[in-house]
Amino acid sequence: MSAWSRPPLLFPVSHTTTEANRTGAWRFARPVFRPKTAPCAAACPAGIDIARVEMFAARGRLHEAWQTIARENPLPAVCGRVCFHPCEAACNRAQLDAPIAINALERYLGDAALAAGTPLASFDAPDLGRKVAIAGAGPAGLAAACFLARLGVSVEIFEAAAEPGGVLRWGIPAYRLPKAVLAREIERILALGVGLHCNRAVDQAFLAEAAGRFDAVIIGVGFSAPVRLHIPGEDRVADGLDFLRRVQTGQTEAPRGEVAVIGGGNTAIDVARTLLRLGARPVIVYRRRRRDMPAFIHEIAAAEAEGVRIETLLAPVGVAADAGGVRLTLQPMRPDQPGGDGRVRAVPAGQAPTVRHFAAVFSGIGAEVGAFWHRPADEAETLRLSHCALRLGQHPIAYVGDPVTPANSVADAIGSGKQAALALHTLFTEGPRAVARALQDCRVGPGPAVSLEIYQGAERAGRASRTVAFADINTDYFPVAARRHPSALPPGRAAATFDETLEALAPGEALAEAGRCFNCGVCNDCDNCRIFCPDQTVQAVRDGRRIDLDYCKGCGVCTVECPRAVLEMEEESA
Amino acid sequence: MLEIRFHGRGGQGTVLASISLARAFFDAGWEVQTFPNFGVERRGAPVEAYLRIDHARIRLRSGVYTPDHVVVMDAKLTATVEVTRGLKPGGWVLVNRPGPPERIALPQYRLAWVDATAIALSQRLGTATHPIINTAMMGALARTLGMPEMIHIESAIRREVPAKKEENVAAARIAFQQVQFRPVEEA
Amino acid sequence: MRQVLEGSHAISEAARLARVQVVSGYPITPQTHIIEALSQHCADGTLAARFIPVESEHSAMSAVIGAAATGVRAFTATSSHGLALMHEMLHWAAAARLPIVMGEVNRALGPGWNIWMDQSDSLAQRDTGWIQLYCEDAQDALDTTLIGFRLAEAVNLPVMVIIDAFYISHTYEPVDVPEQAAVDRFLPPPNPRFRLDPADPKSLYPMVGPPAFMEMRRSLQDAMEVAEAALAQAAAAFKTEFGRSCPPIEADGCEDAEIVLVTTGSITSTARLVVEDLRARGERVGLCKLKLFRPFPAEGIRRVLGRAPRVAVIDRNVSFGVGGIFAQEIRSALCSLERRPPVFSYIVGLGGRDVPPETIAEIYRSTREAAAPDPESRWVGLNPELMGAAAR
Repeated sequence: MSAWSRPPLLFPVSHTTTEANRTGAWRFARPVFRPKTAPCAAACPAGIDIARVEMFAARGRLHEAWQTIARENPLPAVCGRVCFHPCEAACNRAQLDAPIAINALERYLGDAALAAGTPLASFDAPDLGRKVAIAGAGPAGLAAACFLARLGVSVEIFEAAAEPGGVLRWGIPAYRLPKAVLAREIERILALGVGLHCNRAVDQAFLAEAAGRFDAVIIGVGFSAPVRLHIPGEDRVADGLDFLRRVQTGQTEAPRGEVAVIGGGNTAIDVARTLLRLGARPVIVYRRRRRDMPAFIHEIAAAEAEGVRIETLLAPVGVAADAGGVRLTLQPMRPDQPGGDGRVRAVPAGQAPTVRHFAAVFSGIGAEVGAFWHRPADEAETLRLSHCALRLGQHPIAYVGDPVTPANSVADAIGSGKQAALALHTLFTEGPRAVARALQDCRVGPGPAVSLEIYQGAERAGRASRTVAFADINTDYFPVAARRHPSALPPGRAAATFDETLEALAPGEALAEAGRCFNCGVCNDCDNCRIFCPDQTVQAVRDGRRIDLDYCKGCGVCTVECPRAVLEMEEESA
Repeated sequence: MLEIRFHGRGGQGTVLASISLARAFFDAGWEVQTFPNFGVERRGAPVEAYLRIDHARIRLRSGVYTPDHVVVMDAKLTATVEVTRGLKPGGWVLVNRPGPPERIALPQYRLAWVDATAIALSQRLGTATHPIINTAMMGALARTLGMPEMIHIESAIRREVPAKKEENVAAARIAFQQVQFRPVEEA
Repeated sequence: MRQVLEGSHAISEAARLARVQVVSGYPITPQTHIIEALSQHCADGTLAARFIPVESEHSAMSAVIGAAATGVRAFTATSSHGLALMHEMLHWAAAARLPIVMGEVNRALGPGWNIWMDQSDSLAQRDTGWIQLYCEDAQDALDTTLIGFRLAEAVNLPVMVIIDAFYISHTYEPVDVPEQAAVDRFLPPPNPRFRLDPADPKSLYPMVGPPAFMEMRRSLQDAMEVAEAALAQAAAAFKTEFGRSCPPIEADGCEDAEIVLVTTGSITSTARLVVEDLRARGERVGLCKLKLFRPFPAEGIRRVLGRAPRVAVIDRNVSFGVGGIFAQEIRSALCSLERRPPVFSYIVGLGGRDVPPETIAEIYRSTREAAAPDPESRWVGLNPELMGAAAR
């Protein structure tokens, strides 16, 4: 075979780096990290940064998760039990499989912090040298006290009852909210330096006296008068709220036999389930259809499972004495055309009323303002915000809680107290003209709730107010996963005791449930942007990610692969 | 050249027996070639392996169709597999069985039998349901054919068998002693 | 030392003795034993190499491409569908001029699902720029693998060492396994002409546009053109060291033969018996064993077959629409001759069908008796019943 020489090697080799080619010049749009508002947070009356809470919880960073809640809501263990959680109704995940169990997670985190004895963060604000008196130690007053204290204002709470808590203490039965949980969360607020004075008459004389001693007064006494039925024999109808209060103070007696409870809201349900636990056989009588009942669906279901009967389209028209009880006259009703508010009204069905015998009749249709000064008068100098009203002038008065909130819920009361606290702080530091603007600027997205974190100008203040829609989520990263439910006492056992009916989520379940959260609009360091960038222009830096615009070609892959709509494309300016 | 066909089931060590025998014959100075039936091997399914031995280099690289001898590792196979297929007249049929095989009554073959299963169990090789009988069959074959010498069988077993080497050698020795024969019947 | 080895292990032993530094692999019957043995060697320390288990053959080839680009000696093995899945990366390895050696076990491609011997898989890759060497038996496989490394590194082209499914891969026979010291003399550590090196940063193989692509391809062709001579030189060095020859084409009694049989793979081994037998009966028959298929040794073919009165090529493969692939290439090599021998083309043994001596003898008889070659390849041993069924 002939001799041969080494064959040529011809293939391309580059000894320069591609850094000489500043491909950033090719870009006509750039990716921008723009954290946004999650729809749950916008829907939360207390303005909790839920997407961030779940992000921490999913990583097992429970302390930070709880601190994130507590920054906006000082009663997590309470709200984790009693909140009607509008956040879950707004949850984007509902459009994939089922909403995140935000409420159950809040309870899980709240209980964990109580178990650990974690105090509320005080934020070490400088003492403003101002004093505020708060009338009423319900959720609105307690929240106002907490946020004022954190902002450097001295606070004294005056409460007519022997113990603080308001509706949480007296209205909500123990099987929904154990009183020890409430007491410990209140203690934690007081530990911020809040003064509490119970058994103090909160009346107009107090108001006049407080005006002289304090820089402002907050009135948060809630509803104190039962709503009247306006039917003959009404004096034979027992007040359901008063019944609940007496049960809290130790009453264990209830009428034997069938007891009618009038109403379709949560009060009616609470009264009926409490009666059941004391040995009565409650029947809820509601004037409209079942689907019109304002009570929570899960509460209605729990009541029925425990043995409460519900009869609908029956309006009470008269009550009379009867041997061993009362005679209740009930008018059969039928649904009418929806009214202007869209609610279906009920009108008499044309049949004759029926008369029924009950051992007793309770009203459970709620309460209303007890005195004129519990809510603001229509005055020009009253600044009306979404959840509170602020009477300016020499002796400023803030009104909080049920009389001024759009919905009468615990979360709305907390949001109300926070709004008033921030408003007074602005009033003290910047004067009356700055209040409306300051409160507008710390709103959570487009929702009415305000945020302490945004007010303080912390990280959350950098979020765009636009809420993330389901269509913004890259669902490729979220396989369908079942929602975790806390376990409940069997209804038969639950009906025999005031023990809490719902249990907490198990630890593993809680973390897995938090892991289902899209974290809408909140960067959770998933690093997809860095991994997918074809030009390696995304760099991890101390406080997040940075894009090297010298080389970013604006391809947009990072924004597509961002699962949670933090990144977005922005056209280059000319 | 001699061709030997092995019949067994997947998992019985049939192929390994054929390879070990090849190495024993090689040690004894033979040229060898062995291969399984080409295909997928499944536990329990019938398998075949083939062994060629010769004094000259083995060039033939096609299937074994007319073996000189056959070895049947599991007597039950004779019900479903024609173990004497293509077997040259006068060839040995060595069967793992306590007594002479009944199904193979053809007079032109020489029969040998050994209770390799009992021997394996006596040496605690494998389990009652899956006794490892291949080393016993190697010993029996060495006696039946008169080759290779047991020293090569023993040495091959010690090299090839991963565990219980001496028990396997003992099994081969016992089988070598116990194997029984029936010569070609007179016509 | 001679020892009884499985054909697959003849290749893995050669790779171990070659001190390969990176092995990647993905299992596929009938190749798995090669990679399995090498992974065992890596695990038990008898081979100081990095074993990269991958999730596909495409990745197996990609992994050794990356490894070889850093200048290390890299090896993988595959078969059939696995080789087909590698196709894209085969082009890559060759044009990247990486001296990878790959064991390839010839097996049919489905459907019908078939794990048996058939050359269609490797021959389908003939235009990828890989050197292809076909082996006759386990000894040939070991020798060819060792020579393959030397050849690949000499010309900077990847080498495929090809053995028959089962007939070689799963057959145990005596193999002379050389001493490590001798292999080290024959195959010193690689001395790559280029390599990726963090100390000298560069990127290999960026885009090449129309102004340079043809030249790059021409240089690959130039390398192929010297590969046959480089193989001869490697084989000569091998013979010096180990005493065995391993020529690209082996001619046995072709000079005065009336008919020369051309074979590849394990059929060569059986054909040797047949030729011996025919000669004993006075027949003038020669045997031409083709080891090197890419680059195609056209000059050698003309030298060995140019004066033969008749040539019979036995193909264990088919190029649909044409016929036996080796026959085509041999005809093409011979067509420049003034007096071209008639080339008879036979297709046998597809999908593992056995090719016993009788089949080869029949091919010989058929070639002797025919007036002239058929215009198309003749398929030997088709079952008329099945063909009749197909016609219906």
